[in-house]
Amino acid sequence: MNPDRRRLIISAAGVAVGGMATARLLPEEMLLRDRRPRRSRVAIIAAQEYSESLDGVLVSGLREFHLNLRGKSVLLKPNLVEYIAGVEVNTNPVLVGAAAQAFLKLGADSVVVGEGPGHQRDTYLVLAESGLADQLRSQKINFVDLNRDELFKVPTRATYTGLEHLWLPGTVLKSDFVVSMPKIKTHHWAGVTLSMKNMFGVVPGTKYGWPKNVLHWKGIHRSILDICATVPVHFVIADGVVAMEGNGPLHGTHRHLGKIVLADDPVAADFTCARLMGLDPHRVWHLARAAQFLGNGAYDRIDLIAEGLPLRTNPFDVLPEFASLQMRF
Amino acid sequence: MDITTVTAGLRETLNANQRPTGAWGYRGIQDSVESTCLAILALRQHPSLKLTRATKALMALQNADGSWPAFTGDDPEGCWTTALAVLSLMLVQQGTTKPLASGIQWLIGARGREANWLWRWKLSMVETKVHFDPAKFGWSWVSGTTSWVIPTAFALIALAQARQRGYNRTAQLDGRVDLGTSMLLDRMCPGGGWNSGNGVAFGVALAPHIDATSIALLALTNLEGEPGVQRSVYWLLNRLAGCPSLYSLAWGVLAIAAYRRICPEARESLRDRAEELMRLTEDAASIEDNCTLAVIALALEAVNGDSAFEVRT
Repeated sequence: MNPDRRRLIISAAGVAVGGMATARLLPEEMLLRDRRPRRSRVAIIAAQEYSESLDGVLVSGLREFHLNLRGKSVLLKPNLVEYIAGVEVNTNPVLVGAAAQAFLKLGADSVVVGEGPGHQRDTYLVLAESGLADQLRSQKINFVDLNRDELFKVPTRATYTGLEHLWLPGTVLKSDFVVSMPKIKTHHWAGVTLSMKNMFGVVPGTKYGWPKNVLHWKGIHRSILDICATVPVHFVIADGVVAMEGNGPLHGTHRHLGKIVLADDPVAADFTCARLMGLDPHRVWHLARAAQFLGNGAYDRIDLIAEGLPLRTNPFDVLPEFASLQMRF
Repeated sequence: MDITTVTAGLRETLNANQRPTGAWGYRGIQDSVESTCLAILALRQHPSLKLTRATKALMALQNADGSWPAFTGDDPEGCWTTALAVLSLMLVQQGTTKPLASGIQWLIGARGREANWLWRWKLSMVETKVHFDPAKFGWSWVSGTTSWVIPTAFALIALAQARQRGYNRTAQLDGRVDLGTSMLLDRMCPGGGWNSGNGVAFGVALAPHIDATSIALLALTNLEGEPGVQRSVYWLLNRLAGCPSLYSLAWGVLAIAAYRRICPEARESLRDRAEELMRLTEDAASIEDNCTLAVIALALEAVNGDSAFEVRT
């Protein structure tokens, strides 16, 4: 049965049944296999600046996860959106470079960096102006423009958008170990942009337009869920050294958080990042749903293996429509 | 090294990169309509068996409804590449063919989602965070989505050339071109130039992009006296200095070549930017992306006075 039709029927049934259970658990989740790991591990690591010391910080942080990287091809997916002089919009190139070195040191067979920017069609321009091109060139790390990669049709593994399949880049599908490297930011449509929203960048503009317009019409939260259910994210390295609050993801203001977040579960990573931002992850639509089938959000299923969460946090500034996300202590 | 030598080298590389299917991919082995169209345009002045095969390959990729997909194996809904395909066929074929006529007709009928009255109402009354006039709509990247700058600019260039060359001179086409033109002017950034879709969102003026601005300017050469267009030309002239990307620089050169007749600064800048483009092209160890190769060749040809994208009536 067509997923749209199936969802319609099940939604109608859900409405008819009514009650709290239906309100808390949408029909989409009822159809999904629970893929949450028993426990997830997250490391919050202090990092005050982007410097060469990040190499060592990441290697020791990654060692705590006992990852088996031997012989594996690693894809780093940073958040590379747009270059705006003086504004920390993108995952910092120094952190991307440090991650590449760390994975190679830990036994990875190869590391490649890939991104398909949402607004800018000229990926190389953003790559060059952001400083990432120089960083990767100096380390002899290859970059792949995911907007112009070879595409493969992959059935979606969730039904939030009604799309039966996604066209995805071969580089992503062929990688053994996909690492989402978001910049911790607020987002004017989604509330936050973290490791799950960052995966919008693997969806090719050639097929879905810029800024992946088809998915915006299907609903950003719903699209995030379908993408993350379909594309495996094996690990997260979130850049919160300098984060962004307010009118993110492009025109917000800097917030020096001084943290890097490592995690073996993107949902756990995003819940932790949101809590570091002083925002309630349960009130972010895609995070609340993801925690029901894709990964862990509950405190009791997340092991914080480095620093703990601060007792008090001054919540990130958000646009007025997202004020309800702010946690008050 | 002169323009003729550099463009000959670029054409040679494009010919070598042609796939056995007759089409081109971006880099790899998947035929891409965008790459194939830009390569055909770059090779159009040099008839050869390869060009004939490319044209046939492009026509073979056409959807039943007259549109084109983005790549081989793509879903059969038409998309933004249709404008490039129409433009390419017009410039390499003699006379109207069925694929060309149906492609033009599809373009005339295609429109952004805001063309629907309900969405127009919603976008003007309810969802107002992005500042634009939804009554002015152009073309989308993909069917069922809103209008964006680059698909609209390519569609305007293709339809204006179709009118100019006598392939279609209907009032329907004229109306569509007028509406698309008004959309581009509406979506301009406050200081000139174009971002991907709109000029202001969430109360913030967006920064223009080089490629979007250049392609929009190519579509608006008939409005060269319009103050916003002139502001956009000056924005582009400033932004292109030191541009590290061959792709954006090449689109910029195509645009300023189109405005050199009316803008002395464009005339002066054109020589420097063209030299920069040739220098960067020579310095590049290899240019793997076929679109970039083709756009550089097209830009350097435009410097010599032959532009595939220019429209003047």
